[in-house]
Amino acid sequence: MNEIRRWVVPLGWLALLLATTFGMGQLEGLFRWIEADSRQVIYARADFVTLLGRHLLVVSVAAVLAIMLGVGAAIAATRDWGRDFLPLVSQLASIGQTFPPVAVLALAVPVLGFGTLPIIVALLLYGLLPIVRNTLAGLEGIDPGVMEAARGMGMSGGQILRQVELPLAAPVILAGIRTSVTINIATAAIGATVGASNLGDPIISGIVNGNTAYVVQGALLIGLLAISVDSLFSRLPLAGSR
Amino acid sequence: MRPEGRGPNVVLLSLTLVALAAWLGLDSVSVAANRIVSGTGYRVDEVIGAGGALATSLPWLALAGLAWQPARRHLLLALALVVLMLSALPGWLALSAVFLVDGAQARLGIGAGIWVVLFLLLLVMIELRSRLALTRLLGWALLLPPVLSMGFCLARWLEPLALWQEYRGRSGQFLGAVGEHLLLVGVAVGTSLVLGVLLALAMRRWPGVQKMGFGVLNFLQTIPSIALFGLLLAPLAWLSANVDWLSALGVSGIGWAPALLALVGYSLLPMVRNTFVALEAVDPGVIDAARGMGMSRSQVFRQVRLPLALPVILEGIRITTVQAIGLTAVAALIGAGGLGTFIFQGLGQAAMDMVLLGALPILLLALLVDALLGALTDILRPGGAE
Repeated sequence: MNEIRRWVVPLGWLALLLATTFGMGQLEGLFRWIEADSRQVIYARADFVTLLGRHLLVVSVAAVLAIMLGVGAAIAATRDWGRDFLPLVSQLASIGQTFPPVAVLALAVPVLGFGTLPIIVALLLYGLLPIVRNTLAGLEGIDPGVMEAARGMGMSGGQILRQVELPLAAPVILAGIRTSVTINIATAAIGATVGASNLGDPIISGIVNGNTAYVVQGALLIGLLAISVDSLFSRLPLAGSR
Repeated sequence: MRPEGRGPNVVLLSLTLVALAAWLGLDSVSVAANRIVSGTGYRVDEVIGAGGALATSLPWLALAGLAWQPARRHLLLALALVVLMLSALPGWLALSAVFLVDGAQARLGIGAGIWVVLFLLLLVMIELRSRLALTRLLGWALLLPPVLSMGFCLARWLEPLALWQEYRGRSGQFLGAVGEHLLLVGVAVGTSLVLGVLLALAMRRWPGVQKMGFGVLNFLQTIPSIALFGLLLAPLAWLSANVDWLSALGVSGIGWAPALLALVGYSLLPMVRNTFVALEAVDPGVIDAARGMGMSRSQVFRQVRLPLALPVILEGIRITTVQAIGLTAVAALIGAGGLGTFIFQGLGQAAMDMVLLGALPILLLALLVDALLGALTDILRPGGAE
């Protein structure tokens, strides 16, 4: 029973997101009221399901790559053979936090050109930092006594990593992934300005054409998406409370 | 971690070798006939010939040699060498300009090779700084020679540098944008500091406010910035159309008003959270002692609790300011001005130098504010700077 109740809130947000995505056309009356002067009040250049799909695709590709690279790098830097790199990696992760996502995105375009690729790379780079930082914090924060005990039981390095370190550090790592994904859902929307088509499209088009209804449609869906994903993360069994 | 001086410094060695590979293998500079066409890239050996390229790899090999036996003396030498190499980079650009650029319209672009090398050299500096246990201030002072060298070369030889031409074409506009950017960030952070401290104090007094306040602020933080800017368009446009004194103030659906509102909304959470946590975290024993000394309630707050909480509150200001610098860039989309204008205009015209003209200063501004406020926090921490 408790198990079910835990998922009610995120599933509720998710249901609302899907209902809004599919049923945007039904809300025409509402948007007509917001934007009385325009001929067209529902964004029609692409349908919302496609935009949502593309948005999710870009964010998840970047997230998967960032998790693999970030957790991998942090694990490598905390092994005996990689310890030399630890100060540099942790300093880099904390300095990188100060880079504004828009600037990272803007700098990726001259190198990679317009389209979906620069977005994925920028999101990947930006999403890496909270993951690296939190994985390092999680692994470094483990009680040395626990590690000692695991070694004393005759566990190998790989066993300690899989059965002791990663499970203990999981809540902190997961919090990093959550931050990373939530920020990237928002940042991906800015990607619409560099030619990637996603939920940022209606917003940009609305701002450019002065059509508030478009802006509201894009903002509504991105907001619902961000809240759904964030609340899903907060209900994961391992997630520590923030 | 191995003791110093025993075995090579692997970090330094690998950074140096990767940087050397990038220096020789990637396009170092590019030349375009004018602003619109995209440039042709040139590797180092295409600029000064294979022999010259070989000569430029000598300092890298020296650096690798010093990293091979990292005694303190060698690391100091390596640091001097890195500063020298950074200072020489503008000179290299000037040299390329002389060799490659002809015609008044032609522009020299900075290629991927130089960006990668610049980034890696800065990493080398960070690594050396922490190995040598130098203070943060000294680390920043070491960047002075490269910056001066860049300034000198810009004034003398780097007229064709694309970024520099882009700047000179709109220097007034650029300085105005920097001013707007700083003004928006300053007002937003100032407002949220005042509101944040008041809210944190209210939260300490009434637990109900605390639960609800954090709930609302956390929720606000989840809404993407671009969406929040957009969502404020309609209500503010309506307000300015219907409330006379607001429209007289210049409030409208686009421009500074929605930008400022959204910035303050976003800034409140880190500000309130840090202030609240800082005030709560003061050791009760210290408070007891102060009360025992006969201090009044307000004296305890002003002379004990607040000074002890100050470093963490400053940390909140730092996080907020850095975040606001980035968010203000997005605010350019709704016509709030600032450096983001160049980014989005540049993207619209596919003029990459203009994008850089917006993005690089934003990046530098964020780093600078972070460093300054970080240093201030260190100084104010009880016990002073370490």
